Amino acid sequence: MAGKQLLTRKLIARVFIYTALTIAMVWALMPIVWMVLSSLKTQAGMFSMPPKFIFKPTFSTYAFMFNEGNFGLFLKNSVIASLSSTFIALVLGTLGGYALARGNYKGAKHIAFWIISTRMTPIAAAIVPLYLIFAKFHLMGTALGLVIAYTTFNLPFALWMMMTFFAELPPDMEHAAMVDGATKFQAFYKIALPQVAPGLVATGILCLMFAWNDFAFASVFTSHKTQTIPVAVSLLVSQTGIAWGQAMATGTVIILPMLVAGLAVRKYLVRGLSMGAIK
Amino acid sequence: MSTGKALQQSVMQQPEPGNSPKAGGRLARLFRTENMMLAPAIIVLASITIFPFFYLIYASFMNYALAIDDPTFAGLRNWVRLFKDPAVAHSWKVTLIYAVAGLALELVLGVGMALLLYSTPWGRNIFVTLWMLPIFVAPVVAGLLGWFLLNSSYGLYAWILQLLGLNIDIFGNASTALPAVILIDVWEWTPLITLIVLSGLQSLPTEPLEAAEVDGASYWQKLRYVILPLSARIIVVALLIRSMDIMRFIDKIFITTAGGPADSTKIIGMRLFEVAFRFMDIGYAAAIGLSMLFVTILLGQAFVKVMYGR
Repeated sequence: MAGKQLLTRKLIARVFIYTALTIAMVWALMPIVWMVLSSLKTQAGMFSMPPKFIFKPTFSTYAFMFNEGNFGLFLKNSVIASLSSTFIALVLGTLGGYALARGNYKGAKHIAFWIISTRMTPIAAAIVPLYLIFAKFHLMGTALGLVIAYTTFNLPFALWMMMTFFAELPPDMEHAAMVDGATKFQAFYKIALPQVAPGLVATGILCLMFAWNDFAFASVFTSHKTQTIPVAVSLLVSQTGIAWGQAMATGTVIILPMLVAGLAVRKYLVRGLSMGAIK
Repeated sequence: MSTGKALQQSVMQQPEPGNSPKAGGRLARLFRTENMMLAPAIIVLASITIFPFFYLIYASFMNYALAIDDPTFAGLRNWVRLFKDPAVAHSWKVTLIYAVAGLALELVLGVGMALLLYSTPWGRNIFVTLWMLPIFVAPVVAGLLGWFLLNSSYGLYAWILQLLGLNIDIFGNASTALPAVILIDVWEWTPLITLIVLSGLQSLPTEPLEAAEVDGASYWQKLRYVILPLSARIIVVALLIRSMDIMRFIDKIFITTAGGPADSTKIIGMRLFEVAFRFMDIGYAAAIGLSMLFVTILLGQAFVKVMYGR
């Protein structure tokens, strides 16, 4: 009798769990699914009421964007700006992160505070001085200006992340190599670096994502020629009529690569988004 | 940023604690490998963050009349205005509501979802994977999606609301626009709270839970007296990170309401944007920016304290 009661309770708990999970999944995924579906509809089909979930998909919106518009240019701009800033952040951040982890610097807490508040500076507050400086040095509307802006948040991030990865590595193997005659830099390059390769890749992908997803910096610092896709998508919306078909297709192009890349490093996601506070 | 100097001092002057016995002289220590590896990062970071920081302070004491080339000295005018401006006070109030309501919802839903996933017997991994997807969506696209779904004439969610008898222009109405942008933030970031809490749950020591089980504790008792107290630190970290993020981004509001209607969604970052780039009052925008930075620095300090201190 008691056993049967326990079984019933377990069953009820399971029904509850999976019902709640289903509702949660619909809430989380519906906007993304609806965007992708809408990008595959004809302009007329997008607005049919009641909304349609089953229809004949067409890639005409994508074809139009790539053939008629400047979409290819914006895509290229996005790729160049985010890759460049990621590259700079990774190179400087890996070297510096190793030094911070192994250099016995005192005041780790102060360094942490400085790096974290730099990383977390409100974009709106960072825009003002960068705007004035860029205007002075003729960097407005240039790709270089945008790369500098992205590096303000990607470099402190990479520096900090790489420091946490190196700090977790036991230094014994590096010491052994140095006893055998390797220089400190060789110990870093040949022994330590290969061991943190997964962390390096994860840090790089997260840097890429932060830059790729930026809208505010790009909306101020780019011109029509250097515009990135998040800015392009906002312009589709703010001009008199809203080109929803293109907006949904552009949105899809913005998020799909990040979904794939993000899931590839999901093991490090919490660590990255909590600045290493949670492993 | 103020600790930049402290860092540089510790970088340049810290004597090496004895792992290079024959290294004589300060010069050799200054040019040791670690310093040479750290220098490029520190120099670049300082020139793109500390220099702009001082420039921001300078700008807050200047008056930029449309042209940004020849500012005139404004004294304390921007700062006095900052504390007297009812529009800025209103924006801080909206920011606070946005942050508190958003974080409260994200916390409750995020922790709830973490507990749910923690006790999911089958398929947990798949559900976690699907649940985290909104995190990767660019904030500007998240805003766009919210707008598209809630658009009163052809939005999918607005259509469902209409079937339920609610026929309103959600983003055109001061009383519904703010809840709508909060919900967009909740949609995107609740999964982060879930992931953080879930990783904490999975690394909890098993003894207290087993002890509670032996004592015949119910699920709610275990939750209240074992799981939540043990995850408290992680939850605080998550909340601090999210608060700093709310100060950081304006993308969702920029694309949906741009602060309207009637300033009902004009969080402080959005106000700064408007002051700087619509009214071209860069000096005043600089003062607003510094006040935002001040709040971020307080949050950052709390974050470092939680991270290092126990």
